[in-house]
Amino acid sequence: MNFYSYLYFLCFALATYVVYLIFPKKARWTVLLLSGTAFYLFENLQLAVFLFAAAVCTFFTGKVLTSLQERFNTEKKELPKDEKKKLKAYYTKQKKMVVLSAVLVNLGMLLVLKYTGFFTYMLAAFMRPFGFSAEVKPLSFALPLGISYYTLQSIGYIVDTYRGKYKAEKNFAKLALFLSFFPQMTEGPIGRYDHLMPQLTAGKGYSSERFTKAAVLILWGLFKKTVISDRASYMASTVFNDYPRYSGTLIAVAVILYTVQLYTDFSGCIDIMSGTARLFGVELSENFRQPFFSKTVSEFWRRWHISLGTWFKDYVFYPVSLSKPFGALTKICTKSMTKFWASIVPTASALLVVWLGTGLWHGADIKYVVYGLYYFLIMLIGMVTEPLWIKLSDKLKLDRKSGIAEGLRVFRTIILVCFGMALFRVDSVTDFGAIIGKIFAFQDLNDIVNGQLFALGTDWQDFIIIGLGILTLLIVGILKEGKKDVLGAVSTGRIYIKWPVLMALIIAVIILGAYGADYGEVDNIYAQF
Amino acid sequence: MEKLLEILEEVKPGVDFENETELVDSGILDSMTIIRLVTAISDEYDIEITPLDLVPENFNSAKAIYELIERLSD
Repeated sequence: MNFYSYLYFLCFALATYVVYLIFPKKARWTVLLLSGTAFYLFENLQLAVFLFAAAVCTFFTGKVLTSLQERFNTEKKELPKDEKKKLKAYYTKQKKMVVLSAVLVNLGMLLVLKYTGFFTYMLAAFMRPFGFSAEVKPLSFALPLGISYYTLQSIGYIVDTYRGKYKAEKNFAKLALFLSFFPQMTEGPIGRYDHLMPQLTAGKGYSSERFTKAAVLILWGLFKKTVISDRASYMASTVFNDYPRYSGTLIAVAVILYTVQLYTDFSGCIDIMSGTARLFGVELSENFRQPFFSKTVSEFWRRWHISLGTWFKDYVFYPVSLSKPFGALTKICTKSMTKFWASIVPTASALLVVWLGTGLWHGADIKYVVYGLYYFLIMLIGMVTEPLWIKLSDKLKLDRKSGIAEGLRVFRTIILVCFGMALFRVDSVTDFGAIIGKIFAFQDLNDIVNGQLFALGTDWQDFIIIGLGILTLLIVGILKEGKKDVLGAVSTGRIYIKWPVLMALIIAVIILGAYGADYGEVDNIYAQF
Repeated sequence: MEKLLEILEEVKPGVDFENETELVDSGILDSMTIIRLVTAISDEYDIEITPLDLVPENFNSAKAIYELIERLSD
């Protein structure tokens, strides 16, 4: 989405809001369902069939799972302990079969539509050494809007119903709303049924506080996107699209700018969507928590795209780690390794599965696999060397919790993340290697001062505006770390605080926002998944 | 409880497990450490911990972990 798309989107949201308020409280959720359906159908009529298929599959799977659980609960009564155990094993097996089939259907749609080209390419590459030399045309399909997000929501719902976390939804339309709530269709966050459904159906009406909170969040998101992200994108795009022409110094600046662009683009969009959802009394789950204040890469991923990280944790990492094959692996490791390695190897193996999945979720390309492996390797090194660092700092009597030590760890994490972002942005792993080579050659350092820097789409005025924007984000972030929620305080504050801040944000977006004839349109990065 | 504290110290050295009450919320125990801990306590106490048990409330303090173990041992 670019600035104008956001305006259309917000007009659509406001129109929905008016109709929503007209409807009686109990029926308001139907307005949200209809608006989500309209939003989706406007986007692509043919592709809507995949969302509908996912909703049907998810709904009936949930019903079957809950009915199996209820049958077990009834039949187990008054059975002796041994018989109960047998009955439980029987029903668990049945439920597992149902879950597996449903996950395969849901995941299958995503795999076929998103990854067919990648898998055929990989298969052809794998077969080449065996004499298979036919030209393979990569197959690619149009992707239904938000498929990578709603598929994960569906799977989460199915697995939670299987685990007995909650009973299945009885109303198909309500389940369809859970999967198609329009503010979270394009970039998430990936919602959980037990968190979203009560809010979606509560039918909360207008309140001045809710409306102001929504407005502040939307304006804050627009500020991030139009004032910071889009300006940073111009130089980043110029350099990344033709990196051999530029020095390592300029590439390093472009890497930093791209990191700024991606963060303010993605978190800005999430703020706009969260603000929109708040109009309807829905609080979407938190997706960012000052990620650039992280002291380790693991912490960064607990603060960045939180809904994806927690999804992988709950539905991949934990079940894989606690599965029987991993239990067996742990036993083998315990017998054949030292205590330290025996605790590391099984965890690292499960982590590898998670990071391969996370990498591939971002896109069907070998570079995304490498992207996942990059973070896996950093975390693995962190796990393996942690005791060493503790011993070393104890010996040298260094205070690991001192301000300087923590500041250095934050700096190290930012550098590692910036390289991760560069890997995410480049066209291929080879390009990534070339870019890193150029950066570490430390040549043409004077490109920063000889005017080259400001001639690549982001001029010196843009740099000043980006700098001030980052400073604003930094101050708000520092205060939030200290449990002082500035945006929340503005929303609930007195009228002489609330309105000047709102006006300042509106003026900042109108005057400093990068839109209009002089600026190119910049699409959201995370909407492409 | 003492055995549990020993296991905790082994999995994540240098933490005041007796008094800390925000082990998960403050990021001391991340998901990787929790899995290593779960593997160790499952073996020690012969209990089966499922993904549903892996919520912050069950791991925020040594007391909460101990209560989880007792609950699952029943």
